Amino acid sequence: MTLVVGGPVGESEHESDGHPERPARMAAVMAGVDDLQLGTDLHMVAPYEAEMAQLARVHDPGYLEELATFCQVGGGDLDPDTYAKPDSWTAARRAAGAGLASVEALRQGTGDVAFVAARPPGHHALRDRAMGFCLLNNIAISAAALVANGERVLIVDWDVHHGNGTQAIFWDDPNVLYVSTHQWPLFPGSGAATEIGGANALGRTVNLPLPAGATGDVVRQAIDEVAVPAIDDFDPTWVLVSAGFDAHRADPLADLALSSGDFADLAKAVASFAPRTGRLVLFLEGGYDLGALRKSVAATLGSLLGACYPSEAPTFGGPGTEMVHQVRDQRREALHRAWQMAPSERRVR
Amino acid sequence: MNPVERIAVGFDGSPDAEAAVRWAMTLAKQTDAQVVVVHAVGLLEHAAGGGVAKLEEAVGRLTRECGLEPTQVHWHVGDGDPCSVLTRVGARDPIAVDLLVVGSRGHGAHAGLLLGSTSNELAQHSAVPLVIVPSGRDGR
Repeated sequence: MTLVVGGPVGESEHESDGHPERPARMAAVMAGVDDLQLGTDLHMVAPYEAEMAQLARVHDPGYLEELATFCQVGGGDLDPDTYAKPDSWTAARRAAGAGLASVEALRQGTGDVAFVAARPPGHHALRDRAMGFCLLNNIAISAAALVANGERVLIVDWDVHHGNGTQAIFWDDPNVLYVSTHQWPLFPGSGAATEIGGANALGRTVNLPLPAGATGDVVRQAIDEVAVPAIDDFDPTWVLVSAGFDAHRADPLADLALSSGDFADLAKAVASFAPRTGRLVLFLEGGYDLGALRKSVAATLGSLLGACYPSEAPTFGGPGTEMVHQVRDQRREALHRAWQMAPSERRVR
Repeated sequence: MNPVERIAVGFDGSPDAEAAVRWAMTLAKQTDAQVVVVHAVGLLEHAAGGGVAKLEEAVGRLTRECGLEPTQVHWHVGDGDPCSVLTRVGARDPIAVDLLVVGSRGHGAHAGLLLGSTSNELAQHSAVPLVIVPSGRDGR
């Protein structure tokens, strides 16, 4: 099998002293790719700067202009977590372009699966605001491009933080199914099971909040018991993954307890949702322990490609089984209430 | 009936936020209202093990200076960026408030641009009356 890698983007640009979302992350990511020793089965795709019209499918033009200007005049802190530097606008556009180029490479049959090795990350970025280390919502920009071509896009977000930006952007879009596993409670504060989508897309948002300490078996249980029925019903034509690796037990920003082997298992499960090979694209999001990031990237991509990779054993026995049942029931109740109020033609599972 | 029984005020420890708290507490003293000090815990603050501990001293000092009873002052600590947490409070979620008070800019909100401006976001989305306390104005 052939891996398409879009990037790398952010190996030396977009940097702020002492900030955990840093260029060294990209070196760790690419080391994880190199560990697989793919040889001719690795196809690198050069990123390009996404055009304004491509970005404007998900971002307000006014925000884009402000962000560009903000960087041009020197940048600074956008909120207590999020920075922009003079080179950040270009880096962010290249990160978005790396996703678009990766999708296009798969469309042309260049590879079997794609990985977007690009930063800054994207899934917290809102339509009109940067947030949570994110400037442009890379995965949403690629998903919107696919939807514009008539595709039905499943987004699976296994970053430890809820992808509030992605959820908000596609809240009312019936052509995108957003599924997120995330620690709860935790930044950004959204991602409750009762958040199920807007009036035109009821059921198209599936949130699977998990308690601190949850292990890989609990994440898989949540997906199997709560998300799979919605995914089966949705029948996606493409699968995109917000592949954050900060749910790893070594990550300094959160408290889930996954291993690199859990990401390998998750990747295989998510790949089974794609209609065929060549329809799965993973986007780097979080992951701030460099060793865990390298191991997790190698395990995730290695499992998808059937390659040899170093991996930690999958984890079992953490808390959260009961919470999964509560999530399932809360979602069911929320859907029931919403369906009772919605016109029948808007009802989706 | 007092139309303003519970005042929420954003606080991140910045001078502008301190001015907003002082303004809210001064109004609370005049109207016998409750004050809810709202603090957002972001990605970096969570990683640093932060919370309200380092902010409690400042709020305690302001409480004494404004002549409020400690029982009039409460905390609401939410996960998220300041804009998101305050927007939820402005939508009376998860606490019901009658008035929202913020400084004109806190830590990390760049002056002179709309980008990242919590007060501008809130002006568009708050469901309750919003007071933006300008820099250097604190009700004294």
